[in-house]
Amino acid sequence: MRIVTYLYLLYLAAPIALLALGSFGDGWTNTLLPTGATLRWYEALWQDPSFARAFRVSLMVCLATCAVAALIGLPLAYAIYAAAGRGIRVAARILYLMPVAAPALVLGFGFVLVFSSDELPWLGTTWLLIAGHVVLTLPYLMQTLVADMRHLDLGTLEAAAESLGAGFIARFFDVVVPSLGHSLASGLIMVAALSIGEFQLSNLIAGFLSRPYPVVLLQAFYGATGFACAATMVLLLLATVASLASVAANRAKRLVA
Amino acid sequence: MSISVEHLGFHYGAGTAGLDDVTLEVGPGELCAVIGPSGCGKSTLLKLVAGFLAPQSGRIAIGGTDAGGLPPKARDLGIVFQNYALFPHMTALDNVAYPLKLRGVGRAERRARAGEMLERAHLSAEADRHPAQLSGGQQQRVALSRALVFRPRALLLDEPLSALDAAHRADMRDEIRSVQREFGIATLHVTHDQEEALSIADRVVVMRGGRVQQHATPRDLYDAPANRFVAGFVGHANLLDGTVTAPGQVTTAIGPLACDTRAHTIGAAVVAMFRPEAVRLAQGPATVNRFAGAILRDRFLGSLRRFDVAVGDGVVMVETASREVVAAIEVPPSAIRLLPPETHNLRGS
Repeated sequence: MRIVTYLYLLYLAAPIALLALGSFGDGWTNTLLPTGATLRWYEALWQDPSFARAFRVSLMVCLATCAVAALIGLPLAYAIYAAAGRGIRVAARILYLMPVAAPALVLGFGFVLVFSSDELPWLGTTWLLIAGHVVLTLPYLMQTLVADMRHLDLGTLEAAAESLGAGFIARFFDVVVPSLGHSLASGLIMVAALSIGEFQLSNLIAGFLSRPYPVVLLQAFYGATGFACAATMVLLLLATVASLASVAANRAKRLVA
Repeated sequence: MSISVEHLGFHYGAGTAGLDDVTLEVGPGELCAVIGPSGCGKSTLLKLVAGFLAPQSGRIAIGGTDAGGLPPKARDLGIVFQNYALFPHMTALDNVAYPLKLRGVGRAERRARAGEMLERAHLSAEADRHPAQLSGGQQQRVALSRALVFRPRALLLDEPLSALDAAHRADMRDEIRSVQREFGIATLHVTHDQEEALSIADRVVVMRGGRVQQHATPRDLYDAPANRFVAGFVGHANLLDGTVTAPGQVTTAIGPLACDTRAHTIGAAVVAMFRPEAVRLAQGPATVNRFAGAILRDRFLGSLRRFDVAVGDGVVMVETASREVVAAIEVPPSAIRLLPPETHNLRGS
């Protein structure tokens, strides 16, 4: 068992380790490992305005996606949880899980068709990119929230608050939102990680000046190997930060629960 | 303040379980327990009184004023839920202070009052802990404090002890009773545990199939059950179908029983009921209602012994503290109560 685990870890880590090595290597042609040591690829990356812009776009899109997903996801999850009929709940579930099942490519094609028309000429805007990311990431947030509402038996907590004299507004802000705080946080970290790494849809609908990091990264693969490695390392760093934040949030939750 | 329920009717859907014509009164300071098997309507009754469901017929009054159409938040009732429903993100103190916050009590005062309640419940040391860090009994006491801190007009308890282990249940039972006395608050206590109901209630309502079977003091309920169902549900009982064959005599599966038949005519079908602990081990010269038979099961339960004796075509359950060998048993005529044979749609006093 243990050896399988180690082999799997090695299999997972090897490409990342090679990327890290390559990003510091001077040259890497026809050898197993890169040769020489340099920081020039990171310097070049730092000085490349298109990568700097893409980094900013990615961060901005990520934050905006989180904000919009939270604003839509929380009330929507609450509405689905509180829905009276079982049929309504199942239908809502199928609807909001659709983007997970449908490939991002399909969604992107739809966006291209609809938003390149004269009536809705929004293809290429950052807002459309954010909207697309929201559609793709919302299912994951909803899933987390609805599961937590069931786990907490939110309905009974609300009944208790109501019996103590709380109206709808007081219940929502005193009980619903705070008791879901941790699952909202871990759901949003998932949203952030997905948004940062999203390529398929972004590649189809992003404008030239609002391309997020993964889309610009593709260009680097056509250039020097070391540069491509350095550019990928930056994305990996972003992803690592997101997953560490997720672990930290889960630990905090376990401490409280 | 009192709770008064008159001719209450409610059904979840056509032909489904619910409540039919339920009438009961919980006087000021009285603790009324509602018991019955699952599906008997006791939880529905609680939800109706709390305002989480709206009755289809009948009337509910709390403190003399009609509660019809009032939402739960306007009913001013303290409710303890089965799993306590403490807010997981609030400390014990904040949980207890929450109803005061909703009533606009200032921060300092509500913390002081909530602190007092926790002190009364011996939980001062746990005031800053979250519910997940408290034991079941502690959570239960926080829930009770939270339900009482705003001096509600009445208290509703929904199976409050069912989540506790047996060892803590008896203690919490006494604690609920003493706090309820101290606050002098009308309390409706729903439970499936008849022992719990008998031990703490002033009066007990037995329900079955959405109808009240009997509404009486614990002692009357046990000594004078209204029908076969109540007799069997509250405590153990020997229930023998029989016919009145002569004045003072009922013929049953175990043979003729001498008892008071003055309320019944000759030939009437009845159920003869007597409690297992009323049966005596026969000693000395023969008297009435003496039966001999083989012992089927003999259970030693520590402080008492419960055994079944095969008599004629029936079985008699006996409870005794005696550890002697049993030769014969005797049922005192005064311990026998004749119940109507049918249990349907019967109403207690």
